[in-house]
Amino acid sequence: MSSSRLSPVNEGEGRIRWQVGGKDVPSTERTLLVQHTLRSGQAISYPGHVVVMGDVNPGAEVKAGGNIMVLGCLRGTAHAGAWGDEKAVVVAFRLRPTQLRIAHLISRSPDAAVEEPGEPEIARIRDGLVVIEPYLSFNERRA
Amino acid sequence: MGKVVVITSGKGGVGKTTAVANIGTALAQLGQQVVMVDTDIGLRNLDVVVGLENRIVYNLVDAVKGRCRLRQALVRDKHLENLFLLPAAQTEDKTAVTAEQMVELCRELKQDYDFVLIDSPAGIEQGFANAVAGAEQAVVITTPEVAAVRDADRVIGLLESRGLKEPQLIINRIRPDMVRRGDMMDMDDILDILAIRLLGIIPEDEHIVVSTNRGEPAVWDKGSRAGLAFRNISRRLMGEEVPLLPIFNHGGLVQRLRRLMGLK
Repeated sequence: MSSSRLSPVNEGEGRIRWQVGGKDVPSTERTLLVQHTLRSGQAISYPGHVVVMGDVNPGAEVKAGGNIMVLGCLRGTAHAGAWGDEKAVVVAFRLRPTQLRIAHLISRSPDAAVEEPGEPEIARIRDGLVVIEPYLSFNERRA
Repeated sequence: MGKVVVITSGKGGVGKTTAVANIGTALAQLGQQVVMVDTDIGLRNLDVVVGLENRIVYNLVDAVKGRCRLRQALVRDKHLENLFLLPAAQTEDKTAVTAEQMVELCRELKQDYDFVLIDSPAGIEQGFANAVAGAEQAVVITTPEVAAVRDADRVIGLLESRGLKEPQLIINRIRPDMVRRGDMMDMDDILDILAIRLLGIIPEDEHIVVSTNRGEPAVWDKGSRAGLAFRNISRRLMGEEVPLLPIFNHGGLVQRLRRLMGLK
């Protein structure tokens, strides 16, 4: 599942080429579907997008070249756009990460307890900051 | 040049991590430059107990393997600017570092810090070997239970065979009421078996549970008896003579009279 043998070659502006043993591998526009909860100490690293059907617990890490989507509660660490893609986003039913990283930016959860919004949220980079907003449906976004 | 002190126990769950968090914080409150090193790779906890989990970017394994500079892996405490944490990696295991690498790491850290406190994992395998490799001084922690004392004895033997002479002892979670009734091993029973210098005794204290869950070590809480005991231990580590806390809280006059009359 983990693709640690893949190594990125940075071509600038967030674009990367993937290699295994010095040879190019095809497109990174692929998605890894993880069909279980990631527990503490488990780590996923994938050049494309990652979808987790389960929770990501504290101490677990998800690293993706593209977007990360958690159909459950994200309490661990997520790193979207890990090789420089600043347009990458993190979406989760419950977004309560220990730490959230997008491209080169790192943000952490507040130390004091915060109110649970109880709805899906999306994190992305806006004006050089990681911001978290309610995740709106396609129709709501158009309105 | 600072001191490298490993805190170890053999048995799990006796309070190594809590002790490191409290002693580290207390030493820093006393003005020392302190770094706490979590060597429990794969089962890290110290970051949670000191409330720094969400600030970790790099860890011990990254630093040792040269994936970052040592300085980058150190996490500064929320309240004390002279207290740092070198967190363990969670997604790797004990074989990720070698004893030689730990020796080098400790040598580097003690240049800049007065105290390098090493939190050891439970057990006596590679994790333990790594934790003690760079240490010059050892503190063994136990609880007043036969199994914990047995494991402490084993660990003291291992420490001595590795040249860590004169380890010191902390007895954790003493319950005065049970000792008084004779239901719990008391200090003298334990010292008879282990025969090493006593560094301190920590009374059982509910504050510890609260503070551990909240990520604020009990030494911040002036009302915590365990916190006071840890502050005293820290002063002893700095070479001060501090008398042991009385284990028995004699209570008020009424309580004492009742006890004298055999009512309690």
